[in-house]
Formats: sequence, C-alpha cells, structure tokens
Amino acid sequence: MTWLVWRQHRIQFYVGAALLAAFAILIVITGVQVADQFRSAQAACAMHQGCRHLGGLFMGSHIVGFLVISTLGAPVLVGLFWGAPLVAAEAEAGTTQFAWMQSVTRRHWLVVKIGWMLVAAAIWGGVISVLVTWWSSPNNAEQLNQFNPGRFDIMDLVPVAYSLFAMALGIAAGALLRRVLPAMAVTLAGFIGVRAVVALWLRPHYMSAVTVFYKVTSGFTPPGAFWQIAQGVVGPNGQVLPQPNNTPLFDGVPQTALPASCSSLFNGPGNPSPTASCAQALSHFRGFLTYQPADRFWTFQGIETGIFLAIAFALIAVTAVVLLRRDA
Amino acid sequence: MTPTENVLGPVGPRPGGHGGSSDPAAVRTSGLTKHYGRVTALSDCTINVPEGRISALIGPNGAGKTTLLRLLAGLARPTSGQVTVNGVTPHQDPAFLADIGYLAQEIPLYRRLTAEDHIRAGAHLNPRWDGESVRERLTGLKIPLNRAVGKLSGGQRAQVALALILAKRPRLLLLDEPVAALDPLARKNFLGLLADGVAAGGLTVILSSHLVADLERVSDHLIMLAASRVQLCGEIDDLLAEHRILVGPRKDTTALERSHRVVQVTRTPRQTTLLARLNGPVIDPAFQVSEVGLEELVLAYLGEDASPTLAHLNTVGEDQ
Repeated sequence: MTWLVWRQHRIQFYVGAALLAAFAILIVITGVQVADQFRSAQAACAMHQGCRHLGGLFMGSHIVGFLVISTLGAPVLVGLFWGAPLVAAEAEAGTTQFAWMQSVTRRHWLVVKIGWMLVAAAIWGGVISVLVTWWSSPNNAEQLNQFNPGRFDIMDLVPVAYSLFAMALGIAAGALLRRVLPAMAVTLAGFIGVRAVVALWLRPHYMSAVTVFYKVTSGFTPPGAFWQIAQGVVGPNGQVLPQPNNTPLFDGVPQTALPASCSSLFNGPGNPSPTASCAQALSHFRGFLTYQPADRFWTFQGIETGIFLAIAFALIAVTAVVLLRRDA
Repeated sequence: MTPTENVLGPVGPRPGGHGGSSDPAAVRTSGLTKHYGRVTALSDCTINVPEGRISALIGPNGAGKTTLLRLLAGLARPTSGQVTVNGVTPHQDPAFLADIGYLAQEIPLYRRLTAEDHIRAGAHLNPRWDGESVRERLTGLKIPLNRAVGKLSGGQRAQVALALILAKRPRLLLLDEPVAALDPLARKNFLGLLADGVAAGGLTVILSSHLVADLERVSDHLIMLAASRVQLCGEIDDLLAEHRILVGPRKDTTALERSHRVVQVTRTPRQTTLLARLNGPVIDPAFQVSEVGLEELVLAYLGEDASPTLAHLNTVGEDQ
C-alpha cells in the first residue's frame, strides 16, 4: 500500500521538497547575515557601555521578513494541495473503486494513506518552523515580541500542529464532499476560521491574564517577551478612561481628564515636567497593564498545540467513520 | 422460428448440462433491497448463481444492474435483505476481497500511472497476482505498458483494466459493461478468454451488457432486471425451455392467459402471437407452439417492463 501511496503522490512530494529546499536556502543565507548584524550591533553597544535597547535596528531584508511572516499561511498549503485531493480526487476519478477492490481493506488503505500524509504535514510544518524560529532568534532577543499574535503562530511547536490540522481538515473535507474544488474551498475557509477563532478568542484565556496597576508617571514594563492584552488608565473615581483618538495624552492620560494646571504639559516643547498641582492631579490616575507573562510562552505553545492536535484527531476520526460506513 | 410441438410441458433442469442447483452457489441473495434516499435502486432481489457459470446480467438503463454488482462486491451495503458471495456476506477482509474481481463501468484506473505501475501496485496489494499475464496480454494487444493510462484510447484502457482484473485470479468476477468500449473482435477475444477461464474451473462470472448477442454466445445463466426488480433468473437453457411462442388465429386469448403467464402479445388482423411462460401443456390446438430465442425472450420482458398495459394490447392496426 505504501508503494501505491508513494507512486501516486511522489510528484506532490517532489514539489513540496523543492519548495522547502528553496525556502531553507534563502532562510539560511539571510539568517547568517542577520545573526552577524545582531552580533556586531551588540558588540558596538558593549563598547559604548549602555545601549540596552537596540531600538530601531531592523534585521534582515524586507522581502525575507515578509516571507517569514507569510509562513503564517504555510500550513494551509498542505491541506489545500495534499489533503483536500487525497480522497476527493480519487472519488472524482472513481479510482477508489480500483483501490478498494484489491485485496486490501478500506481501513488499511485509509491508515496507510492518511498516516503518510500526516507524516508529510508534520515534516512540512516542522521544517518551516525550525527555519523561521532560528532566523527570528536575533529579532526575538531584540524585540521581545515572540509571544505576540502573528509571531507566536509561526514559531516553535504550533506550526506543526497547524499543518496537521490543515491536512486533517483537507482530508475530511475531501472525504465528505468528494469533490476537489469544494473541498479546497472548505479547507481554506475552515483553516482561516478556526485559526482566527482560536487566536483571537481562545488564546488570551488559556491562563488568566495578569493585571498590574502602576503610577502613570513611573510606568511599568514586565520582564521578557510578555504578551500585552490590554493597557489603559484608571481615573480618580476608579473608572477606565476612554482614550479618544484626537486627544493628546500625557503618560496615557488624556488632556481632557486633567485640570487646567496641566495644560503646560501639552503646549510646551520637549519633555516638560508637571507643576506641583498638576503632579498632584496626575497621582490620582493609575495605569494598568493586562498581559500574559513571558514565562508562559511554552505553556501557551503546548495548549495551542494540544487544541489543534485534538481537532485534527477528531477530523481524522470523522473521515474514517464516513469512509468505512458509507457506500463506496 | 419453426413450429415444433403442439403440446409441451414445462421443462426442468436439463440433464447433460450443468448440474443445476446441485452446484454450490457463488452468489445467493434474498430479498436484497437498496434505497438511495427516496430512490429504490434494487427491490426484493432474490437470485442464485451457481459456481462455474457465466451469468448475463441484462436490463434497461437504470434497472439496478450496477447496484446489484456493487452490493455483491461489498462496495455498497444493502438497505435490507441478505447477500452471500462465495459463501459469506461481503465484508472488509483481505481474503474475501482477494476472491472478488469487480470492474466498474467507468473503468477506474489511475490516469497518470502507467499499466506497468498498475501491475506493480497489484503485486503489492494482492496475495495471488499474475502480473506476467497482464504484460503478455497487453504486449500481444500492442498496448504500451509504460504510457500513462490516461493517454490510452478508451478501448485500450478497458483492455488494461480487464487484464488487471483477471490477474487478481478471483473466484467471482463482476463485470459492469466490460465490453462496451471494445471493438467487435476484441469483444469476441475477451469473451472467449472468460469462457476459457470458467472452463478451467474455479471461476464464476457475472457480466452486464446490452449486447445480447455477445452474452448469448458465452453465458449459460441469465439474470434479468427491470425497474429495480428481478424479472428472470436461471439457467438459460431452463428459461428457454419454460418459454414458448404461441401463434394462432386472432381470437380471444383470455383462456391462455389464465393458465400461462403471457409475457407479450402481438396481434395482427389474421393472427395473434404470444410469448408465454408455460405452466403446463398448451391444450388449444389452434395455437402453434415454437421455441424462443434468448434475444426474443429478453426483448419481450424489456417490452413488458416498459409499459405493461401497452405490451398486452400491442395491437397492430388493420390499415398497417
């Protein structure tokens, strides 16, 4: 059975391997440059004794940076071009009737075919993730943004889980719909939908976020690559202040919420310091920051991976039930 | 047709031919029914095909031939009723599948793969596999082994599929209009091959086709479906023996219709022709009794199905 799977899908395998190889070459070459740039910038800082912050240093070319970000979409490719046609193309061509009339049970056919496809998907997601994670490590050390949505999703464990999910989704859609194009459409929509729902609504709640209140004048920054969920200012009466777009802010406090004694803060040039009465007024405001601490990064990666593996497993189970129960 | 006898009793299984019901059944179904949604594809189908037969499955389009074959192959599950193939209910088991060869009407092959690829796939997927026979056969037919199957002609593709299905060495071959794509000579050769395979023993064939003349040449058993029901099932010799054509003066046939099952009536100004399944001797001396051919029999039943009322009043007018 493995022979047939290989013979049927080897072109797809070659295309996938070629894409991965091209991506790897690009990432390794530019990644070495980025790492060099980072090291020399660090060395320069060390000589000047004190740039803890490399601020505006941008590492890597825009094109490669864009490519790295666009690996957000890489997992769905295996679902679209390998998963969706896996059963649907055979159903369309009627070749399931060839495969299922050899001396091989449908269960065996399914296990071998889906098994290899899942292995391929895991390799695809894994290789891309390793490359992207390695390429991004100087950026991560510098910008501390790997916990942010969009960055979290292209590194470490989760791309593997996304790829397995996309593959399972494609296979299930193909098995249910038995048409390649509708199955691809469902795979694309389903992948984007599920990823968006999980990333936007579920992920912030894997663990209760930490909220810290602080004096607006002193500010507060948690250590490491934390994930900021919300930030704002609480007024003297304990209410969160709206932050209208067109109002000037001082340490997050809108001008309209401050007394007239603070008007100098907004008019003067440079960094004016508040008058005594204004400082008194400011002391009644507190800033707050709701965030997921940096040390939860791996817990979150684990939880998100678990969620997508569970969905993938459920989709494979549905596929198996449909194919084993339904008439060929 | 030649009038031979005036009086004829119903004839049972004939001696000399196949042993009739004494052979174990390759296929046995009872009340087999298949619905697809609200559509009834097969209804209350009870048939029995003894081992070693080549059974012709005949019926108009949409009669349920493909459904029956798919139920026998285990590709579809019955809504109700029983089906036994090679002594067991079709199920997902390598040993059961190894004994069944099913070739669908659409000739399912991987279009991008070559015949040689299919031969190798078969070797990986089947316990008994005679890949060499496929190579020999296709080489003999000048069909390239290393060209993508999708680039072959329809007839060549059918030859590849047929050779592959035979290489599996099944005990029961289920062929859904296998010769439709073949030219007359290829058809003749293939049917001869089937007949040889059956004569060598251990093989039963059920093949559907619209080409009654072809089927008549090789088959010794007949299953006739119309409107999702079994119209006829049995050894062809027996069926031909049970049916007779009665030709007589134009007159009332109600007496005949009472004692025999009249399948078809044709009236002209001077005479009435009946095709009937006899339940006993024909007593009325006014009718000449003659034997019926397979094609006539098939057409009579097809006509009956098409519109039962009209077939009975199939009267040719005076002025014609």
